[in-house]
Amino acid sequence: MNLTRNLLLPDEDGHYAPESLAIDRARARAIALGHHPIDSIAREMAVNETRRRFFSRAARGLGAVALASIASENARASTGIQPAFGGLPDLPNFTPKAKRCLYFHLVGAPPQMETFDYKPKMAEMFDKDLPESIRNGQRLTTMTSGQMRFPIAPSIFKFAQYGKSGAWISELLPYTAKMVDDLAIIRSMHTEAINHEPALTFFQTGQMVAGRPCIGAWLSYGLGSMNQSLPTFVVLQANHKLPKANVQAISARMWSAGFLGGKYAGVSLRSSGDPVLFLNNPDGVPTEVRRRMLDSLAQMNQIEYERLGDPETRTRIAQYEMAFRMQSSAPELTDLSKEPDSVFATYGEDSRTPGSFAQSCLMARRLAERGVRFVQVYHRGWDVHGDLPEVLSSQCKEIDQPLYALIGDLKQRGMLDDTLVILAGEFGRTVYCQGKLTETNYGRDHHPRCFSLWMAGGGVKGGVVHGETDDFSYNITKDPVHVRDFHATILHLFGIDHEHFTYQYQGLDVRLTGVEKAEVVRRILT
Amino acid sequence: MKRIVVLGSLKIDRAQKGQHARPNSRYPIPKLFLRREASLLQRQFAVLALFSSGLSAQTARVDFQREIRPILSENCFQCHGPDSAARQAGLRLDHHDAALAVIAPGKSASSVLFQRISSTDSGFHMPPAYSRRALTPAQIALIKRWIDEGAAWKDHWAFQPPAQPKPPSVANPAWVRNPIDRFILAALESKGLSPAPAADPRTLIRRVALSLTGLPPKPSEVEAFLADTAPGAYERMVDRYLASPHYGEQRAHFWLDAVRYADTNGYHFDNYREIWPYRDWVIAAYNRNLSFKQFTIEQIAGDLLPNSTLDQKIATGFQRCSETTNEGGIIEDEYAEIYAKDRADTFGAVFLGLTVGCAACHDHKFDPISQKDYYSLGAFFRNTPQRIMDGNASDQAPFVIVPREQDRTRWAEIESRRQAIAGEMAHARDAAAVPFSAWERAQLTAAPSPLGPAIYTADLNALSFSAEGITLAEAPIAGHRALYFTKAGGATETKPPKVDSENPFSIAVTFLSPKSDNYNLASHQNTKDKNRGWVLDVSNRLASFRLIGDNGDAIEIRAALDQIPPTTWNVIVASYDGSRVQSGLDLYLNGRAIPTQGRNNPFTKLNGAINVDDPLILGKSLADGAISKLDILSNAVTESEARAYNDGAAGYFLLREFAPYRALAAEDEKLSKEAKEIAKQAATTPVMQERASETPFAHVLFRGAYDQPRERVEANTPAVLPPMSPSLPRNRLGLAQWLFAPDQPLTARATVNRMWQEIFGVGLVKSADDFGSQGEPPSNPQLLDWLAVNFEKSGWDVKRFYRQLLLSAAYRQSAVATPLKLKIDPENRLLSRGPRFRMDAEMIRDYVLAASSLLAPQIGGPSVKPYQPDGIWESVAMLSSNTRFYKQDSGPGLYRRSLYTLWKRAAPPASLEILNAPSRESCTVRRERTNTPLQALVTMNDVQFIEAARALAESAMESGMTFTSRLSYMSSRILMRPLTAAEQGIARHAYDDFIRYYDAHPDDARKLLNDGERKGDPGLPAADFAALSMLANQFFNLDEVLNQ
Repeated sequence: MNLTRNLLLPDEDGHYAPESLAIDRARARAIALGHHPIDSIAREMAVNETRRRFFSRAARGLGAVALASIASENARASTGIQPAFGGLPDLPNFTPKAKRCLYFHLVGAPPQMETFDYKPKMAEMFDKDLPESIRNGQRLTTMTSGQMRFPIAPSIFKFAQYGKSGAWISELLPYTAKMVDDLAIIRSMHTEAINHEPALTFFQTGQMVAGRPCIGAWLSYGLGSMNQSLPTFVVLQANHKLPKANVQAISARMWSAGFLGGKYAGVSLRSSGDPVLFLNNPDGVPTEVRRRMLDSLAQMNQIEYERLGDPETRTRIAQYEMAFRMQSSAPELTDLSKEPDSVFATYGEDSRTPGSFAQSCLMARRLAERGVRFVQVYHRGWDVHGDLPEVLSSQCKEIDQPLYALIGDLKQRGMLDDTLVILAGEFGRTVYCQGKLTETNYGRDHHPRCFSLWMAGGGVKGGVVHGETDDFSYNITKDPVHVRDFHATILHLFGIDHEHFTYQYQGLDVRLTGVEKAEVVRRILT
Repeated sequence: MKRIVVLGSLKIDRAQKGQHARPNSRYPIPKLFLRREASLLQRQFAVLALFSSGLSAQTARVDFQREIRPILSENCFQCHGPDSAARQAGLRLDHHDAALAVIAPGKSASSVLFQRISSTDSGFHMPPAYSRRALTPAQIALIKRWIDEGAAWKDHWAFQPPAQPKPPSVANPAWVRNPIDRFILAALESKGLSPAPAADPRTLIRRVALSLTGLPPKPSEVEAFLADTAPGAYERMVDRYLASPHYGEQRAHFWLDAVRYADTNGYHFDNYREIWPYRDWVIAAYNRNLSFKQFTIEQIAGDLLPNSTLDQKIATGFQRCSETTNEGGIIEDEYAEIYAKDRADTFGAVFLGLTVGCAACHDHKFDPISQKDYYSLGAFFRNTPQRIMDGNASDQAPFVIVPREQDRTRWAEIESRRQAIAGEMAHARDAAAVPFSAWERAQLTAAPSPLGPAIYTADLNALSFSAEGITLAEAPIAGHRALYFTKAGGATETKPPKVDSENPFSIAVTFLSPKSDNYNLASHQNTKDKNRGWVLDVSNRLASFRLIGDNGDAIEIRAALDQIPPTTWNVIVASYDGSRVQSGLDLYLNGRAIPTQGRNNPFTKLNGAINVDDPLILGKSLADGAISKLDILSNAVTESEARAYNDGAAGYFLLREFAPYRALAAEDEKLSKEAKEIAKQAATTPVMQERASETPFAHVLFRGAYDQPRERVEANTPAVLPPMSPSLPRNRLGLAQWLFAPDQPLTARATVNRMWQEIFGVGLVKSADDFGSQGEPPSNPQLLDWLAVNFEKSGWDVKRFYRQLLLSAAYRQSAVATPLKLKIDPENRLLSRGPRFRMDAEMIRDYVLAASSLLAPQIGGPSVKPYQPDGIWESVAMLSSNTRFYKQDSGPGLYRRSLYTLWKRAAPPASLEILNAPSRESCTVRRERTNTPLQALVTMNDVQFIEAARALAESAMESGMTFTSRLSYMSSRILMRPLTAAEQGIARHAYDDFIRYYDAHPDDARKLLNDGERKGDPGLPAADFAALSMLANQFFNLDEVLNQ
């Protein structure tokens, strides 16, 4: 807590300093109603209006006040002037390149050899056994550890080189191919977990067992919010289209804030029902009635505050106002009707469908524009143990064009430079086949020893391909990047030294990157 | 002098920050602290001067426990502490004798410790720069003074057995109601504070009712209390709530956090788990005021108590609340570690107030808990037959069947009679020896099967198979030849009997188990129709019998615990009674009914037919195994029949020809059938059980890695605590009893602290789960110890303890905070005023349900599914998870107390979670309590809250005709008090505006009145009704309501 702060203002937790109560009551009341940055509405109420006049203009007048302030925030967003609320006083450690992050996670883990890690020599190895020297005693999941043999399944998808960088991209990702010069592709990722649940938790929190804060929570905690009417960290769950795709579970623990505290946890933005849980007033309660109820509530709470002097009461008054602001700004956020047809055309027609990956990309851009710090999108259906060609074709098609559109859109709006975009899965897949191998069909098991992901924007250099794997995409041969390094790199882009960014829990200085050495992947930085 | 005050305040302030302290801010922050504290100081001095007492404290000697140890712990222990592996220069500062190497008592200048911390030479200075730790000048000065004062040392307070301190004398004894107050008042007086006046009776009864039952008092209870002017009225009121059955519910919701109670398995599928009988046990245990000692022993080791009762077994569900997985591909050793750690962590946090899990990878950095201690403690919990893979079952073994209350007596009778019958049967067998020989001699042909006529018996000679994979040879069972399988592939029967899903049938297989753990014995399926048919196979050495109908949906029964050893001959009988549900399946292994998982799974049912035209396959993946006999019967098989089948001819004789045995078997069968009927109505609940064959042990794991076992250790308690008496068994029972050994320093402290926290909002030790060196020292150490000893001496009497807290003058204070108190006691840790803090999530919801009379009164039973926004489960669940779709209840299920809400770990009840309810994935002994806009949205908009507001408005309208009378009706139910004139005015004005709106917008009024399942009375004037509902909604959101 920054203790040099003005005692008349609440701290980043929204709590008022008890000392402020030493000031006389009249002033205290003025503070309660006036000085909190989000109290402008309440001040309006107290100072300007008699009750009746107030109510008669509530619908237009106050709504307009609220909207005006949101609009001004949006204006700030577009000019890039976004003061942070909350956050640690000594962060960032150095000038950040990224102000926000849009992170797309492909749940189930896409195969690297069908996407970014081209392995031409495998073509001749069809149905040959994976050499023991390559497998080298690596542990296997119990799904394939009982297999009699490990026949190699070469990717049936063609690759070609694209862009100035000449990166090899699979035919499954034609749009991605067009933007390789904006991407840093890491082909040498590796992790420690071999099954989804722990691997996802590890990717998100740096630890396999639940309970640690995830990346988005760390950033919210460290850097605070860039807006006053939307959550700092938003989670979207995009539906996949192919019913037969093998789906893995996700859970709230993936976006939990662990010991950092619930207010840093991701808030789900839902594609049906209330966009934020319980956001909408019940049927029959329009904004003006809610506003009137809140004014009356604030008056009664103010009496309570004057009776008992509990600073938490003032925090509560402020939080109800914040809730009201959220109610006003979320519909504006989720209302896509003002997006021109050309935008939908760029993101693909799917982007008109609520809950689609394409719409999530568009929504991610809108969230970024409005000052949301971290957007996490989950897309399921990537666990291709069987029927890989069919399932993967469908999955890739869903994400390819929208991501291309997103990068282009961000660029056009001048936001790519300070918006970090990430596409990743939680591990890779085996070159050998799981189940029956034919010329046209196969499946792949989990493989933690190497996999690919890409990052773009926000201080990441485009047109970079980092790391190499062996001919089998089984072992890393150059520039390994551990999940910890990935975390360190994200924090670095946000101007944070990952070794210094700690939180004391159970006596230990816990950090996202854990206790072992983690290094920023400098080669991919601008 | 000034400096000391600064330090004192600094200490308090940092402690208050608790886990919000930001270590990386260490460099800049302390300076800011000093600057700010200095300015505060001047004010504080003025205050102190005004109150003129407490100044003597400024000259007191440095308190090692409170002032020095935390500095050493924070800055030095990582390298000079308990962790022997990380220890630098062989120096440890957590230990007196060792620390004397660098401390010369009385002489700071010649103490190496002081030289190094005060040095300006960066190479010599401690802590080193790379550690990113630094002492402030103030801390350095404090250490200097401490050394110069003689470097008095005390071992960490929490590890010293509590002595019962004498309640201190106070200046104002008139305020004191019981000894607690002396400790509180003495602390207040030393700070120049005086207690707040007593709260008014309405506030008091509300506070007591909420503390004890979690529900607001009824208006009649308030009036009765106000009317009782005789002495002892308050005590009588407290006693009434202590006797309420809701008392147990309120206590339970705290305990369920600690034991991480939930209704799903947690990981991956996160399927339903039936464990609510344990939750009900907790409620009942509180209500019957089980002593905390017995409460603990039964939960840790109820199964190991002599002649343990069903309830005592249910109590061990405490340890079965942990998360489990069935994710394909997991490595079992890894999860065995995760499960054991979860149990050790929970045990440590709840009973010891220690973070023992920190020692999983290395010795604890701050507390004297070695890695070996940690694994020795974990060993107590590892000696279990529980499988790592939970089978996605609701009744993961070991479990007990919990009959309905009305069936309990009969259930016990049946059980004891069946035990007696088993004895009598053994006698009958002995008596049958001679007649059997005579009968056998007289038989001309082989004895028929005791199972009844088979509709099919595999003719081993006629089965088609690939000759290279199978040989037909003599089996070591008289009269049997067997198919020996050398390869996978199996033997094919092209004309198998058809069985169907409408009628009973059974499969009996005699086989030699192979070396592998997974194999298929027999199957009759259509692979092109999602495996429609039936299959009898073994996975993880556990037999399972599955019937697959339409869409691949199956009913399945799986052996819970009885593993089939490799390379042994066995007989499995799988039976189906034609009922299409899982409870109609039975498995018998070698003549014995074995416990199975999935009996009462409510989520599956067999639809459609199971007869297929495909061939029957024997031993499809039975390489290295053999099958000597396979019978298919057209009836469901009973246990006595299965036993007889196993015994061959003798079995047939006993069961069918020998009257004394036949009569017993008939009785047993009848009882077994009755028991099955009871079981169908019963619940199951997972329990703890000990592997009889082993003594508890574990391996120390290098860096906590499951695949790097090192030294083998026996179960034992941490070395820093008093050792287990040799008379105690080295198992969970011994562990539980050890907690209550007379010199145990932690059990009582940790427990009274949690109870204190429930009542006062914050524990005397704020870090209720960490009494170690990095935890916060107690705000009032003497009081903590006095309470601990007092509790222990009372025989761990829980109700008495709460009663004592509630009877104190400290508890009865008004919550009014003065600026002075907010300055000196900002968090109310000293109790300079009455407790006031936001209610827990469950209480907030229950409060509105109770105030609006919607609350369904039933206590206990299966968990319910009240209102929840659509898609919360679905968006995270596996497609085949049985908790993928949230099917909301209707009727009372919507209005039960919140602790009965079905708790899915991957997506906890949404509105409760927003209000800080934990996910229940791991032990939580202290909830966070935030104040966020998302919470405001819940209490404003959740249909549950809207409906409650409307229900209250409706009864208010029925209660009186005037707005004033209706308003007073509502306030008496929501606030337990009349409104002041000012409040009435505010409410009236809001109401006028609401009604003006709804008069003009009748459609909106109608919509509001129809939100939720329970519609508003259509006979009431809609605009008025809607307006009053909005007012109720406003009241439910009052800060006064949300706080207890």
